[in-house]
Amino acid sequence: MNNEILYLFLSPFIAGVLIFLVGRKSRVVSETLALLGTIITFVVALKIFIATTHGEVLTLHSNQLRMDALSGLIAGLVAMLGLIASCYSIPYMRREVEVGAIQAERMGTYYGWFMIFLSTMLCATTVNNIILLWVIIEATTLASIILVGFYWNKDAIEAAYKYAILLTVGITFALFGCVLLYSGASQQVASGVDPLKLTEIAKVAGKMPKSIVLLSVVMLLVGFGTKAGMVPFHTWLPDAHAEAPTPISAMLSGVMIKVGVYALIRTVLIFYPFYPIVSTLVLVFGMLTMVVGVIMMMMQDDLKRFLAFCSVTSMGYILMGLGLANYLGIYGGIFHLLNHSLMKSLAFFSVGAVVYSTHHRRVSELGGLGKYMPITAVAFYVATLALGGLPFFNGFISEFTLFIAGVKAGFPWATVVAVAVAILNVAIFFHLTYQVFMGEAPENLKAAGIKEVPVMMWGGMLILAFLCILIGVYPQIVSPILNEATKAVFATIAMP
Amino acid sequence: MQEYAKIISTISLSMIITSYLIIELRNLKYSAYVYMIQAFLMCTLFAIFAIDNPGLYYWAATAFITKVVIIPWLLLRYIKKTTDREFQPLIGYLGSITLISAVVILLYRVTHSYIGFVAPSQFATAEPFRTNLAVSLSIFFMGLYCILVRRDAIKTVHGLLILENGVHLSLVTLAPALRETALIGIVTDVVIAVWILLYVIYGIYQKFGSTDTFQLKGLRW
Repeated sequence: MNNEILYLFLSPFIAGVLIFLVGRKSRVVSETLALLGTIITFVVALKIFIATTHGEVLTLHSNQLRMDALSGLIAGLVAMLGLIASCYSIPYMRREVEVGAIQAERMGTYYGWFMIFLSTMLCATTVNNIILLWVIIEATTLASIILVGFYWNKDAIEAAYKYAILLTVGITFALFGCVLLYSGASQQVASGVDPLKLTEIAKVAGKMPKSIVLLSVVMLLVGFGTKAGMVPFHTWLPDAHAEAPTPISAMLSGVMIKVGVYALIRTVLIFYPFYPIVSTLVLVFGMLTMVVGVIMMMMQDDLKRFLAFCSVTSMGYILMGLGLANYLGIYGGIFHLLNHSLMKSLAFFSVGAVVYSTHHRRVSELGGLGKYMPITAVAFYVATLALGGLPFFNGFISEFTLFIAGVKAGFPWATVVAVAVAILNVAIFFHLTYQVFMGEAPENLKAAGIKEVPVMMWGGMLILAFLCILIGVYPQIVSPILNEATKAVFATIAMP
Repeated sequence: MQEYAKIISTISLSMIITSYLIIELRNLKYSAYVYMIQAFLMCTLFAIFAIDNPGLYYWAATAFITKVVIIPWLLLRYIKKTTDREFQPLIGYLGSITLISAVVILLYRVTHSYIGFVAPSQFATAEPFRTNLAVSLSIFFMGLYCILVRRDAIKTVHGLLILENGVHLSLVTLAPALRETALIGIVTDVVIAVWILLYVIYGIYQKFGSTDTFQLKGLRW
C-alpha cells in the first residue's frame, strides 16, 4: 500500500510528460492522455483516502514521504477535482479553439502543464521533509504560471506576471522560514534523527529558541500565507483566478490555495502549545482576510473576480478555524476547507458554463439565464446557497461549527465578525444569482440562441452539487473523515 | 576558519557592493554580468567554508552551474530579446543609494549586534558566521528593496535573484549539514522560476511594447 504514495504523484507526472512528448501534435491524444492520467490518479488517491481516513499512516523512503488522514483528504480532493476539471476542459477548451481565443496546437501545452500542476499539488501532500515541502509548494506555482497566462492576451499576461512575481517572492520568505526551522530543530533533535523531517521538527518545537520560532513563523505566514491568499498578500488571487481558463480557475480556487493552508498546518500549528501568540496571529490574519474579502466582493462586476474574492473570504474562515487552536476550531477549519473545495469549484464550473454559452462574464451584461441553461442554473443556485452558508447546504454546517468554536475558544468577537460576514455573503450572493439567472435575458443574449452546456461539463457540476447537498443534509457522513484528519493534525503536535 | 576571516569579510563586503551595482546599474546587461560576479563570489565563499566542511564543495559546484552559468545566460538571452535599458525608476541614483545605505547599515548593525536572535547555536554567533548571517540578511533586504521600488520587470527579476542569494548565503551558517539533494531542489526551482518569469516578461514586452510594470494596470480591484 505504501508504494501508492509514489503512484499518486507519478501517474499525473508521467501523463504530463507523455503529453509533452507525443500529444502536442494531436488534440485528441493529449485529451485522452489527460483523461486517462486523471482517472488513474483518482483511483490511486481514492485508495489512499480510504486507507488514511481509517487511521492508517502511509510512509515511504524512511518516512521522507508520509501520508496521514489530512494528507489523504487533501489528495482525494485534488484528484477528484482534477478528474472533473479534465472532463470539463475537453468541451470548454475545444470551444475556446473554435472561437479563436486559443490556437489548436497549444492544447498539448495546456494538458501537459495541467497534469504537471496536478502532480505537484498531490506531491505536496506526501512530503515529510521541510525543504522538499518548500520545493514542491514553489513547484505548484511554477507549474501553473503558464496556465494562468494561457490566453496570452494583455490581461492574461498581466495576471501571470503578478501571480509569478508575488508568489515567488512570497515563497522566498517561506524558504527563509523553513531554513530557520530546520536550523533550530537540528540543535535539538537526538543524534541520528533527521531534522529535515516535519514530524521530527514538531517533536522538538517546544525546545527551539523563542526568537527563531517567532521569526520563522512570521516568514512562513508571509510565504505560505501568500500561497493561501491571505490578506494582505492576496493581490495575485483575483487576477489569476479571473484570467485563467475556467477549469484552471476551479483548480486554483478549489485546491491550490488549500495546499498553502496545508503547508501552514504542517509548519506553523506545531508551535501552538508553546507560543499562544502564534495562534493569535493566525486568527487575526484570518479575520482580516475574511473582512477584506467580503468588502471586495461587493465591488465586483466580473463574475470570476467576484468568486475569486469570495475565495479570499473563505480562506479567512479556514484561517479563523485554525487560529482558534481548539479541537472544534481546527475541525471546523478543515471542514470548511473540504466544503470550500466542493462549492467554489462548483461555482467556477457554473460560471465557466455561462461564459461558454454567452461569451460574457460581467454581471451587468447577463440576466435570465435560468430559462436557457436550467442545469447550470441549478448548479449555480446550489453553489451560491452553499457559499452563502444557508441551512441544508454544506457551507452552513462548517460555518456554524466555526461560530461555535469561536465562542468555545473564548473569542466571541471573532464569532460576531464571522456571523456579520456570513450575513453580508448571503445578501451579495442572492443579488448576484438574481442578476445572472433570474429576470429577463438581454436581447443580445436571446438573439444568440443560448443553449445548455454539454454533459462533459454539467456531469461534474451535478456530482459536486450533490455532494454539497449531501454534506449539508447529512453531515455525519464526513464526520469520521474530519475527525481522523483533525486527530492527524494533533498527533503531530507535541504537548508541553 | 579564523585564518580565513579576512578573506571572508572581504568577499562578504564585495557581495554587498555587487548587490548595490545590480540594483543601481541602468544597463540590464551589465547588471546581469555583475550578478554573475556576485554568484561567483558566493561560490568562492562556499569553497572557503568547505575547507572545514567538505560537503559544501557540492554547494559551490551547484551554485556555480546554476548561478554563474545558467541564470546569467537566461538573463542575457531575454535581455537581448527585449531591451538592455532599464525603464526609468521612481527614485534616482542619489535617493536610491542613500535609502539602501541607510537600510543596509541599520540592518547590518542590528543583525551583527543581536545575532543571537537568529543564530541557532553558539557556534553560529562566532566569527566568521556572525558576519555571514549579517551580510545575508542585508542582501536579502536589498533584494526586497529592488523588487518593491523598481518598475522595470527585468530589474524585478534581478531583485528576486539578490533576495534568493541572501537566503542561499545564510545556509552556510544556518544549515551547513543540508543534503545536496535538498539544495539541488532549491536551485532547480530558482532556475525554473527565473526562466518562466523571463518568458512572461518577454510576453509583456511583445504585448505592451516595454517592460515597464506601471503599464500593467488592466486588472484592478
